[in-house]
Amino acid sequence: MTDRITPPDGPEDEDDRVLAAEYALGLLTDEERTAFEVRLDADPALRAEVITWDEHFASAILDDVDPVEPSPQVAKRLQTLLFKPQKESFWQQIWPYGLGGVAAALVLWLTISTGVITPDGPVLQPDLVAELAPTPDGDGLMIRASVDTSLGAVEVVRAAGQPPEGRVFELWLIAGDAAPVSLGLLDAGESTVIDLPQEVLALLPGALLAISDEPPGGSPTGAPTGAVRAAGPLTSS
Amino acid sequence: MTPQEEVENLIARVAMGDRAAFNRLYDRTSAKLFGVCLRVLNDRVEAEEVLQDVFVTVWNKADSYKVNGYSPMTWLITITRNRAVDRRRAMKLPPAPIETADLLPDSKPGPEASAVAASEARQIKACLDELPRARAHLVRRAYLEGDSYADLAEATGVNLNTIRTWLRRSLMALRECLSR
Repeated sequence: MTDRITPPDGPEDEDDRVLAAEYALGLLTDEERTAFEVRLDADPALRAEVITWDEHFASAILDDVDPVEPSPQVAKRLQTLLFKPQKESFWQQIWPYGLGGVAAALVLWLTISTGVITPDGPVLQPDLVAELAPTPDGDGLMIRASVDTSLGAVEVVRAAGQPPEGRVFELWLIAGDAAPVSLGLLDAGESTVIDLPQEVLALLPGALLAISDEPPGGSPTGAPTGAVRAAGPLTSS
Repeated sequence: MTPQEEVENLIARVAMGDRAAFNRLYDRTSAKLFGVCLRVLNDRVEAEEVLQDVFVTVWNKADSYKVNGYSPMTWLITITRNRAVDRRRAMKLPPAPIETADLLPDSKPGPEASAVAASEARQIKACLDELPRARAHLVRRAYLEGDSYADLAEATGVNLNTIRTWLRRSLMALRECLSR
């Protein structure tokens, strides 16, 4: 250890190989590390030097460190963290609006039947209506759907709110526990009339209507792919 | 398939979102990586949090593995060691003391020098054994336990500039030995 008395600035201070080792070990100060990383991006040889050190240190660690079993909780937490759906499922998103929609429809029914307002236009004679309440993703949306089952059509009126830029609204029917069935896309305008096939008409009473945003042309998968923006149950008008 | 090829293959499948491969990779490597975390942090709870964090990174970043030039275990160990060291520094854990005996001048190579292993993986250990024992001990503390220069200065009572000079010389000597 005679080198203890030599001056601190030896030739190793100029050596990138030593600097690369210090970087690999996390021994550099914040400023030194930032400066080194700028050079690292532009210098493949320097990057190779860091990799060489990492390989050597890792092989030594592999050799020196005894394996220890972590508690089974870690594996469990990882399963939950990585593989349970982060986003709420379609069903989790819409279920609260079933009840809210019933209340809204009741208010609408009372309003209409007591003559405060009348439904727009004579186009349809609706016998089923749904007030689609906005989900947290659908702030500001006001959408009402009116079904004329004898005519086999639904009119969807969007009184307020727009789909996100570059997206379109798609209307879905959810009957019982069945998968959502697409009824069609909403027009850019305020009102859209969609024809309903006979097999759909039978499913309507008590079913839920929902609006999701989708890429132009509609969901590519046949199931909702975007956020559910509004939902509500169909009730007799 | 060698163990290395097996781990490499598992990482490649994890990159494609294969959950079964992820679980196998965990079973195959978690004990070793947990050992690394424990060595740096010396605390099971902290070490388990870091281990969890490491495997989240592995799941999210496995696709970057094939272009980064690392062998598979080095990639995993380097991520783990660096995360554990970051945690250790954030917690400002005091360094373990270094016994005076470990720092006594010793011109002779360390006790393991005679048992130099031939395998490439042991090359660095053979080279460490060529260093004076006290210097090798400091280098081991740095890579194995994540000690910083300040930690080593505190643990030895030697001033920081001196520690830095010692360690840099040791790394230089180590590099010369490794390229022989």
